[in-house]
Amino acid sequence: MPATSAPRVNSLALLILPSALLFALFFFLPIGLMAVMSVLTGNPVVMPNVGFTTKHYARMGNDSYYLEVIWTTIRIGLWTTLAALVIGYPLAHWMARIRSRTGHALLLMAVLAPMLTGIVVRTFAWMTLLSDKGVINQILTSFGLITKPLQLMYNETGIIIGLVHIYVPFMVLTLTGVIGRIDERLEQAAENLGASPWRAFMEVTLPLSLPGILAGSLLVFALAISAYVTPILLGGFQIMTLPILIYQQISANFNVGFAAALGMVLLAISLILVIAYNHMLGLVSGQRGLQ
Amino acid sequence: MTASSHRFPLSRRRLLTGAASLGAGILAAPYVARADEPVLNITGWGGKWGDVMKAEIGPAFESEFKCKLKTDTALPFLPKLQASSRSAPVYDVLHTNSNEQWAAVEMGLVEPKIDPKLVPNIADVYPYAVSDKIVGVCIFTSAIGLGMRTDKGYGSVTSWKDYWDAKFNGARGGYVIPANSLGQAFVMMCGTLYGKGQTDLDAAYAALEKLKPIKLVDFTGAMEKLILSGEAGIGILHDSGIYRYDGQNQPVDFVTPSEGVLSLEQVLSITPGSKVKELANAYINYMLRPNVQKRLAETVWYSPANKQVKLDARYDAKLLTTPEKVGKLIQVDWKWYNAQKDEIDSRVNRIFRA
Repeated sequence: MPATSAPRVNSLALLILPSALLFALFFFLPIGLMAVMSVLTGNPVVMPNVGFTTKHYARMGNDSYYLEVIWTTIRIGLWTTLAALVIGYPLAHWMARIRSRTGHALLLMAVLAPMLTGIVVRTFAWMTLLSDKGVINQILTSFGLITKPLQLMYNETGIIIGLVHIYVPFMVLTLTGVIGRIDERLEQAAENLGASPWRAFMEVTLPLSLPGILAGSLLVFALAISAYVTPILLGGFQIMTLPILIYQQISANFNVGFAAALGMVLLAISLILVIAYNHMLGLVSGQRGLQ
Repeated sequence: MTASSHRFPLSRRRLLTGAASLGAGILAAPYVARADEPVLNITGWGGKWGDVMKAEIGPAFESEFKCKLKTDTALPFLPKLQASSRSAPVYDVLHTNSNEQWAAVEMGLVEPKIDPKLVPNIADVYPYAVSDKIVGVCIFTSAIGLGMRTDKGYGSVTSWKDYWDAKFNGARGGYVIPANSLGQAFVMMCGTLYGKGQTDLDAAYAALEKLKPIKLVDFTGAMEKLILSGEAGIGILHDSGIYRYDGQNQPVDFVTPSEGVLSLEQVLSITPGSKVKELANAYINYMLRPNVQKRLAETVWYSPANKQVKLDARYDAKLLTTPEKVGKLIQVDWKWYNAQKDEIDSRVNRIFRA
């Protein structure tokens, strides 16, 4: 019987081992632990007699308040994504097609500049603009245009304004790369065949940039629904989102199990929406790989 | 090979090894020197409290008791204690407000009481500091009342009920009740003001509903800023949050409502699994010493729990330093409140959502 040679390990495969370990350690392990904690009656590391329970999930199902919080979180995420796309797409298109290197560099700097400042600082800057005694209300009052301050913050609008400002660069940078790789001659060919510039954009550029729209939207949506600082400060604690509720459960109610269950719901919602969005864009663009 | 290399054969490897060993030795020296020193892990506040603890009170304790004091000032403390092993807790002494102490004792994270034999200065504290409403021992207290602007022409405010006055609509500051002990104590005050007592939650909810529009903050520091900036004209605040601006010409004042002030206690307790309990008791006794109490009280405007403390006239006039003044303090039943907390949180989150 011929001796079978031992399977040889590709030395290149070993190169991905550190990143695979890192991924397992800092992604799968925490999520796995969170999933386990969400169905336990306590922390088994420090408490005796810990058992399995579904009470944390039942609590969410039995109280409509938590469903309202989930919907508020998703709504803020969707509006932020939509606004970031509407603002970010023209800018990304301009950046991708601008001929001047200086112009491109200036645009890139303009997009990146806000990212050099921390989220907390940027949110406080928005508070100085949007609060009752803020710059906008003071100016409008001094011109006699309003007698009572406009409610620009302590509501969902204020949160969305702050989140859009923070996450537009993520959308722009994602879209710029994709739009930049679209061959301009395709648009020119469409125009040569009689299409208006608008129609050429709608029927050529836009469908070809859908993978960028998908990637940018998913990135912004995921960041927006997991944001904590901006909803807290610009919402004035009067708009409850899942991350705020999760932190509240850990820091003030010391209920790690319920916080873990809320975290699992947030994760599940994200996954469902990502799959649905992927499928929908695949159908719209006709790209079977996305479906 | 030269004669000199025989006498001193220094190769590059030996040089690097020697330098690395020397470097490691220098870095480790302070830790090695302190290896025998016991370490007392405590929690504490930042700001002026943290400054004076770091500069004076802490080092003096370390020097007297030949130990190292390691202070965690990064909130929240209780989840960290909750996650640590019961037999090797992350803190030896827990310093928080009363509501968290009651949550900690319910979870078995701290001991319910301090032994007066091991902490002799307890003999000198006011009764409220070791009452049945306190876990461990209260070392300082503040009076929770109303902080307000004096430059807006609001007129006289004397009662808690003035907080509901329509003239404060849009200029009223309150707390995120699930996260703030002043807000939680205020819920029980609402029950007292408009219902049958602290536990009358239906009356409290109805009263809270009438406070809208209101601006909410999570910490007392944020409430101070809200009032100082003029975003709020009135807010629930502890006296220290106003008195600390004494002499700075700020248009703010503290109102002691006629119905009494709520007690905001600074409480110390010991964790059952602490390996340095003797030191933990010594620390609590030290924090109750009259000279330590006086220094901290006059730094952060907290009322000392030790009745032997004699404050300077400026502080004595405003802080709770006599049995009569201390008698105005209303202590709340945190054990009861914590048992209802989930229900209360769910309800107040609904009431105050935009």
